[in-house]
Amino acid sequence: MDLDYSKIGLKCGLEIHQQLDTRKLFCNCPSLLRKDEPDFKIKRKLHAVAGQSGEVDEAAIYQVSLDKNFIYEGYDSTCLVELDESPPLEINKDALKIAMQISILLNAKIFPLTQIMRKTVIDGSNTSGFQRTVLIARDGFVETKFGKVGIESICLEEDSARIIQNTDKESFYRLDRLGIPLVEIATAPDIKNPQQAKEVALHIGKILRLFKVKRGLGTIRQDVNVSIKKGARVEIKGVQKPELIEKSVELEAKRQLNLIEKKQNVKSEVRKVLPSGETEFLRPMPGASRMYPETDLPLLKISRAMIDGAKKNLPELKDESEELLKLGLNHEMIKLVLDEEKIEEFKEIESILKNPRIAVKILITYPKEIASKEKIPPEKSEEIFDYEILKFVAELVAGKKISEEQIKNVFERIANGETKENAIKFEKSDANDAEEKIRGIIKEKPGLSENAYMGLVMSAFKGKISGKEVMEIIKKYAK
Amino acid sequence: MDNKKPSLGDRVEIHLSKIIYEGVLLEVPESEKGIILLKLDSGYNIGFNKKDILQIKFLKREKQKQKEFEIKKDPSKPNVAMIITGGTIASRYDSRTGGVDALTKPEELFKYYPELFEKANVVKAEVPFMKSSEDMDFRDWQKIAKVAEKFLNDGNIKGVIITHGTDTLHYTSAALSFFLRNLNKPVVLTYSQRSIDRASSDANLNLRCAALAAISDIAEVMLVGHGTTNDDFCYAMPGTKVRKMHTSRRDAFKTINSKPFAKIFPDRIEIISGHKKRNSGKAKSDLKFEEKIALIKVYPGQDENILDYYLKNKYKGLILETTGLGHVPSKKAWLNKLKEIQEKGIIVCATAQTIYGRLDPLVYSNGRKILEAGVIFLEDMLSETALVKLGWVLGHGDWAKNRETVKEKMLTNFAHELNERLQE
Repeated sequence: MDLDYSKIGLKCGLEIHQQLDTRKLFCNCPSLLRKDEPDFKIKRKLHAVAGQSGEVDEAAIYQVSLDKNFIYEGYDSTCLVELDESPPLEINKDALKIAMQISILLNAKIFPLTQIMRKTVIDGSNTSGFQRTVLIARDGFVETKFGKVGIESICLEEDSARIIQNTDKESFYRLDRLGIPLVEIATAPDIKNPQQAKEVALHIGKILRLFKVKRGLGTIRQDVNVSIKKGARVEIKGVQKPELIEKSVELEAKRQLNLIEKKQNVKSEVRKVLPSGETEFLRPMPGASRMYPETDLPLLKISRAMIDGAKKNLPELKDESEELLKLGLNHEMIKLVLDEEKIEEFKEIESILKNPRIAVKILITYPKEIASKEKIPPEKSEEIFDYEILKFVAELVAGKKISEEQIKNVFERIANGETKENAIKFEKSDANDAEEKIRGIIKEKPGLSENAYMGLVMSAFKGKISGKEVMEIIKKYAK
Repeated sequence: MDNKKPSLGDRVEIHLSKIIYEGVLLEVPESEKGIILLKLDSGYNIGFNKKDILQIKFLKREKQKQKEFEIKKDPSKPNVAMIITGGTIASRYDSRTGGVDALTKPEELFKYYPELFEKANVVKAEVPFMKSSEDMDFRDWQKIAKVAEKFLNDGNIKGVIITHGTDTLHYTSAALSFFLRNLNKPVVLTYSQRSIDRASSDANLNLRCAALAAISDIAEVMLVGHGTTNDDFCYAMPGTKVRKMHTSRRDAFKTINSKPFAKIFPDRIEIISGHKKRNSGKAKSDLKFEEKIALIKVYPGQDENILDYYLKNKYKGLILETTGLGHVPSKKAWLNKLKEIQEKGIIVCATAQTIYGRLDPLVYSNGRKILEAGVIFLEDMLSETALVKLGWVLGHGDWAKNRETVKEKMLTNFAHELNERLQE
């Protein structure tokens, strides 16, 4: 089971992409991920672009895209920059400041003069045909129990459009995600064992959470690079949780070892992580992408004064478990919240409910329970129990619009495809109506204990009324 | 090797006091003096202030790969000629040096726009000059017209495509509409709003549709460009009735107070409105031009004495871009000034700053007085077209010597610049 990682020469590096919760990187649109139907669609084509030495060397790659129609779906929160109909505005100051502050906390050195680049993108996921990206800092490090891990680079880049549907002839992309600022942190291949990989991810995650970052499914994306002696560099895409990082590094090391033992060749490739931590082939390792300057913007100058300004109000790294303890969570629940990396979400929901116990249930326990009962895979479950939905439910509970007992019921309905608006509709148990019904039940079977009536009533109402309410009524009529 | 002076595109080491960077030396934009740019192996570019650099050490000269291109001529396809004048559509980024240069040969065009050659052979390409369109003047319009005339009268060529910057493209299209008389073949102007380095550039559809327009039967000067934000069709718009209506959108050019000649898809043309047909006649250029003309926008509270400048500097004609139906401030001083400059020989014409619609001086008494003062009301003519036309009309000495002849010519429809029936 336990491998001697130094003996097999494990080398591992992480690449972490975190969405920021500022306006978009090169326009003033809100970074709003939308669930409603788009307001309009536009149709575009891509064409071959001649490469560096003049020949259309990328033509082959493009060929697939050439005959394709790209349909971009936009909203009232979309502007001409996202439609590739207007030059980019200057880089968002808030996002730049956050990237600088993250760089400082990762002990990296900020470039005083850097250029915003266009990275060629060929799949249509950017309306422009490229992704804007800029190198902010280099040569940082984080300390771990197993030693220092270098941070090679910190970049600020725009997120791509979300793919909605893909056929041979058409790809549909939604523009809400396009342009959301992403901080990209790339570690050096200094990580020497799976636990260290997890530790680095947790540490960086903790730093990222100090800032205005987006939360919820897909807002942080982690790629893991793994190789062993005589093996090859494999990139594992889309690892969401630190737990899974540890597991996937371990399993990838074993996979490569296994191939080497069987005298098979380990191919350098991109693999996709599965919920078990195992991986499957995704695509061959891509070549270096073509990058050239964003000619619509001047050089980015980061002055001494800007760096000093960023240093001045640097958030402090907090002891998160201490904080959670103060909010009234027990150790078991603290571990749950920390492992799920839902500290900020917990604090917010707790502040709505003023009840840490219910907050954990809404945020973690119930969604997990229902997902496992209904056999919903984890990614899907995060999508269903989106943070906005959880917050919505917490607010209703806080406003006494639904009762604690009804939460699970609401979640079940949502898991079964109800809209959130419908899921919270209970035949209210119109106070009078309910009272009438309860009186009827008591009349029918006189002389039972309060708890016995409670059981009868609750089963008759099937959770559509809160226990507290029922008890009050029972107390009124049962003698 | 060490003492070799590094030049753009070379692999170098940049020595700072604490760190050495390795990468490729790049060209720095003109606006960034005192800076050195380096492309790192990761692809990112970073900059240095020259004063922070201890040494730039030459490492290696990167070999320049140059592949020669050959365009295969397909004898079954019609031939077209191109006139390349500059602008985004003909600029490319040189990633080796970081500079920008121009596409000037058919081979290069083929490299960048293979689809242009789908329906036609580009057999000739001429570059009378390379300019951003904001730097052009009537002499440049004359040069383009000269080359166009030559191509139009070449029996081997079916039509002419002109690539051009967008800023003043509609001035050039108006000028060519007046300069090129007795038109026998299509003259197609086109552009791009998005640089050609990107897979999303609008140049591609514009050029494909321009090629189709150039081999069509529409013997007109027209501007071909995106009809909407979508990459599905272009409009062929009359050279005198088109205007840049947006700073950045693909469909920046709109037909004003008229209709496009045609809607052009990459594979077909749908005719929309009447046009002159391709014919076997001989095109003839008429390049006369008077440059002492000006376009003046009227605004509230404007001091009429600014017109003295034009008088003093011997201007021959003015286009006043008037408010509403054709007004200037109604105070007497304005009217008197208009009378005075006309008496001293300046031709004064009026156009509408509303852009859309026709002037009507008869509705308000202010308008009637301006009309009585002798101002020529140019109906629904676009201000930019009116300016170019005034220069062309006044360039003809025999017309210019008589006020009435000038008025008559300004109100004669030479190239669709006037529309008797506004429908929108």
